[in-house]
Amino acid sequence: MTLVLIAMIGALLIPMVEALQDEDIWQRMLAFASISTKTSVIILVIAVLQDDWMIGVVGVLILSVGNAALMLLAQIIKRVNDVMDG
Amino acid sequence: MADSPIMSSYAYAIMLLLPLSAAMVIFQSNPYQALIMRGILGAIAALVYAMLGGADVALTEALVGTMLAITLYVVAVRSSLVMRLGVLEGEGAKNNLQWQPMLDYLRAMLKRYQLRLELVPYADDQALHQALAAKEVHGICLMDRPEPNAEEVAPHILVRVRRLAEIFATELPEAIAEAKLYRDDDLAPIPHTPTLMEEH
Repeated sequence: MTLVLIAMIGALLIPMVEALQDEDIWQRMLAFASISTKTSVIILVIAVLQDDWMIGVVGVLILSVGNAALMLLAQIIKRVNDVMDG
Repeated sequence: MADSPIMSSYAYAIMLLLPLSAAMVIFQSNPYQALIMRGILGAIAALVYAMLGGADVALTEALVGTMLAITLYVVAVRSSLVMRLGVLEGEGAKNNLQWQPMLDYLRAMLKRYQLRLELVPYADDQALHQALAAKEVHGICLMDRPEPNAEEVAPHILVRVRRLAEIFATELPEAIAEAKLYRDDDLAPIPHTPTLMEEH
C-alpha cells in the first residue's frame, strides 16, 4: 500500500512541475485542479490505510468543495481576461 | 501516528512538497498566478494536516484558507490593480490611426506593473473633466480635433495619480501620447478648452 502512495506522490509532482514551468494562467489552473483532486484522493487513501473515518469524511468534503472553489476562481479570472482583451 | 515506521516512509515525501509549493508562491510576481499557487499550497497543506491526524485543521485550511481567502483576494486584486482611463465616446472610430496603437502601448506598459487598463466612456470633454475632478477615473485621454489641413497631433493623457504620472513621464514616448499630471490648481472652473491646448 505504501508503494501505491509513493506512486501517487510521484504523480503529484507532474502537475507541480507543469505549474512551475508554464506561464499561461489557464495551464496553471489546470495544474491546480489536478493537484487539488490528487491531494484529496491521497487523503482518502490515507484514511483507508489508517482506518480513520474522520479523515475520510474530510477527504470527501475537500474533494467536493475544492471543485467549487476552482469554478469560482475560474469565473473571476475569465472576467479579468475579458476586460483586458476587450 | 506519524512516527510509526510504515507512516514515516512517505510522510516525509509529502511534507517536502509543502516548502516546494511555498517557494512557488514566493517567486511568483503576477498576483493572479501567485493566488493560484496559493491554492496549490493550500491543497498540499490540507493533505499534510489530514495525514498527521488533524482532520479539523485540514478542513479549515481547505474551506477558509484556500476557497474563501483566494476568492476574496482575487476580487480585491481585480478591483485595485486597475487604471481607469476616461475617454470620449466613439473616439476610437474617428481617430483610428493613433487610437489603437496608443491603447496597445498603454496596455503593454501597464502590464509590466501588473496593472490593467479599463476604458470608461464619457459623452463630452466637460463630462471627462468632471469625472477626473470627482476622482471617478485615474486619468483622462483627450484627443485634439485636428483641423482638416493640420498635421496629426498625439493624444494627451491627464492623470490624477502622481505615481502613474511618473511612470508615464519616463516610459511613454511623446509620439504616442503626451502625459501630464493633473494638479488641483487646474481645478478652477471647468475648462472650456483644456490648458494643454495652449502649448500648441
